[in-house]
Amino acid sequence: MVAFGYAWNELRRRWSRTVVTAIGLAAGVGLVMGIVGVSDGLTQAQNKVLSPLSSVGTDIIVTRTVAATPASTSGATTTTTTTAPAGGGFGGSGVGGGGGRGGGGFFGAGAGGGRGGAGAIAALNASDQAALLNANSSVLTDLSKLGPPGTKFTYDFFVPGTLITFPNAAVADVASVPGVASAVPGLSLQALHETGTVPTQTDTVTTGGQTITSVQRPPPLTAAQEDAVQACLQASGAFGSTTTTTTTGPTPAPTGAGNSGAGAGGGAGGGRGGAGAGSGGFGGGGFGGARFGAAFTKCLPASYQQYEAQVVVPEQTITRVLNPPSTNTETKSYTVAGVNPADTSTGLITTAQVVKGTWFGSKPADEILVNTAYASTNGIKVGQQLTIDKTVFTIVGLVNPTLTGNTSDIYFDLSTLQTLGSNSGRVNEVLVKVAKSSDVKAVAAAIHKKLPGAQVLTDEELSGQVTGSLSNAHTLATHLGGALAVIVLLAAFLIAALLTLSSVAKRVREIGTLRAIGWSRGRVVRQIVAETLGIGILGGIVGVGLGVAVCAVIGAVGPALTSTSSVTAVGSSSIGGIFHQATAAAQTSTKIHLKAPIDIAIVLLGFGSGMGGGLIAGAVGGWRASRLAPAVALRDLG
Amino acid sequence: MTNAPGTEPNASEGANTMNEDVDHDSSNGILYQLRGVERRYMRGSTPVLALHDVDLDIRPGEFVSMEGPSGSGKSTLLQLLGALDIPTSGTIRFEGNEMSSASDSSLTRIRSQEIGFVFQQFNLIPTLTAEENVGIAMIPHGQAKAQRRERSAALLERVGLGGRLDHLPSRMSGGEQQRVAIARALANRPRVIIADEPTGNLDSASSQEVMSLLTELQSGEEAVTIVVATHDPDVAGRAGRRISLRDGAVVA
Repeated sequence: MVAFGYAWNELRRRWSRTVVTAIGLAAGVGLVMGIVGVSDGLTQAQNKVLSPLSSVGTDIIVTRTVAATPASTSGATTTTTTTAPAGGGFGGSGVGGGGGRGGGGFFGAGAGGGRGGAGAIAALNASDQAALLNANSSVLTDLSKLGPPGTKFTYDFFVPGTLITFPNAAVADVASVPGVASAVPGLSLQALHETGTVPTQTDTVTTGGQTITSVQRPPPLTAAQEDAVQACLQASGAFGSTTTTTTTGPTPAPTGAGNSGAGAGGGAGGGRGGAGAGSGGFGGGGFGGARFGAAFTKCLPASYQQYEAQVVVPEQTITRVLNPPSTNTETKSYTVAGVNPADTSTGLITTAQVVKGTWFGSKPADEILVNTAYASTNGIKVGQQLTIDKTVFTIVGLVNPTLTGNTSDIYFDLSTLQTLGSNSGRVNEVLVKVAKSSDVKAVAAAIHKKLPGAQVLTDEELSGQVTGSLSNAHTLATHLGGALAVIVLLAAFLIAALLTLSSVAKRVREIGTLRAIGWSRGRVVRQIVAETLGIGILGGIVGVGLGVAVCAVIGAVGPALTSTSSVTAVGSSSIGGIFHQATAAAQTSTKIHLKAPIDIAIVLLGFGSGMGGGLIAGAVGGWRASRLAPAVALRDLG
Repeated sequence: MTNAPGTEPNASEGANTMNEDVDHDSSNGILYQLRGVERRYMRGSTPVLALHDVDLDIRPGEFVSMEGPSGSGKSTLLQLLGALDIPTSGTIRFEGNEMSSASDSSLTRIRSQEIGFVFQQFNLIPTLTAEENVGIAMIPHGQAKAQRRERSAALLERVGLGGRLDHLPSRMSGGEQQRVAIARALANRPRVIIADEPTGNLDSASSQEVMSLLTELQSGEEAVTIVVATHDPDVAGRAGRRISLRDGAVVA
């Protein structure tokens, strides 16, 4: 029905028009493919971020952060500040904090209190805070453990950051919740690689312990004073007028006031008696009777109302933490996690995420997996060895952990890390797989009920906390990308249609002639559509090539997008305070490089767009041509 | 009319009309019968009376020339005779069939099967070779490509262009192009050739060739009816019948 040879000749011999129109369409097609590709790439990235847990086979993550218990449920006001106190105060209060982990008793592990009601939670939370601070600080504040000042050291510290640890037993507790398919422990720690010299961090001052004796001998009474005393006493009716009294060593019974004086000023104030010191004492010396005592007191001259005191100042040894510890310590911060090598499909990292090398092998205690991002930053390759805390580990594989939340730089065998981090038998995350996906919420609630104070996060809740440029870009792509693609495509179609219209206008005589020699309207329209369809196919092919190139360039240049997730990250907030690092909130930012994936659907879309453009242009041109009267063939057009 | 089954009812209706028509016998020998033909159109907002009160009979095999200055209506008359246009009022019968109120598709069919055109500007398709230009006239008839090529080659041979089959119009002289156009006009074995100033763009030698060819077609075995609009007295001189037009009316 269509003269293809004629159409082909039209396209071939009017190649400049063909090429210009086809390029117009191709540009549109290429742009649309780029836009759709970027949009798809963002969607994929977003999906990855939005299902950070399920992508590692996890539905719920159970953690314990300091701020896990909301103040509203505890009744009491719970301070959830995680910044470290200033050094001086820290030394004082930290020492008294209980000296070890386990003081918290989270998840009812031994310590009293257990899983009580609201009030108990508040108490636990407070003590957990203390434990957390202690866990994060004990080693850090006591670099002297590493040797005498001046010793050069290289050391890796492992601290739980904002994720408080709890005993392994909690994992079994979670596993026993109905609906839980499996519960896997994880231990995410903040690691600090320290090199430097042990600083003079503390000094010890011993104070007190002196025995202070103060003897004051008042001058003898003058005759006038003796007379006055005698007169006074006689006047009081105490005794006979001739008695001579010698008072020696009145031994006062110092009250609490004396103590406080000693504490404040050392021995200096030892002899100072309070004005009322004599009120209780002075009972000795042979003078019986309250009446005499009262009279005597009253009649004694003012200078004799002093006494001699002997005070022993209690001995104290004060260890002061110098603030800040002046040291040349260089700190490199990284994150580590421990996983059970036996849990290959659920956990902080799974076998599916190994991109190079292998999963833990026969000797997991000597093996580690390294995050690809960390590996590329530090030039680490599979097979290399890495010394961490004086232990040599072999890198058996590179892994690509999930985008959000608990990504760590180095993954250890769980028990190895527990030993390294002095966290024997303790973990700080439980990754839960739920048997039925529809039960996730109910199971999460059950876990929360069983382990009050635990932070129970579902996949859905995690995704709600994702923000950042990726999220923004995806929103933009969803809202604007589609419209942009349509606009670009419409512009390309318009260009093609206008070019076709102009071509038809130039071919008025030719079209009129075809009509005159017997071509019907429909045949002329079909012929023009066939021509533009040919242009559309050409534009589609070129455009698909262009689109693939655009997407490849986008993939290669890969604008980095960040995704911020305020989840159970191993924050460095408390440590940050001590080492004067920038204090980070408990958020993880994940950078993801934008890719514009090409799939058959996009290619078909591009090609179809080109063809569609050709058809539309043909329809417009054909409509114009069909309105030409055949008589125009006879018109003298010069 | 053989391969347009959808239009056969019309054709048979026309045949019935002819059978019942008293004038049937008298129109039997007449190819074109025009009665009171008038054609008005609007040029912008100005009504133009291009043709009026035309009564004209043309018999098969006649060689008719139409002369007249620009605007005399000869182009309009040529369009009506060539089934490119229909009159505003009056009747045109072609082979006894009413053409003045025919639909676009009927007119297209008539042009395709009964009429060949030769234009002043040759009106060849610039992107097609001589052979292809002749061939496209046969496309509506649904002939196979090989058949079209064969007939195109024969026709070009007939007009003396046997060696120019693959030439594009741009590579041929005006006379050659016009001969290709004549070959194209003959492609569907028409009864009439409508030629509008066929020598208007040709030198005198080419004009002679083209006019000789047209005369041959009229007098030879094809016995084609030829209607030529021309300013050229030489061309008009070859015609058996000369019609003059002035201000939209036939004056002689």
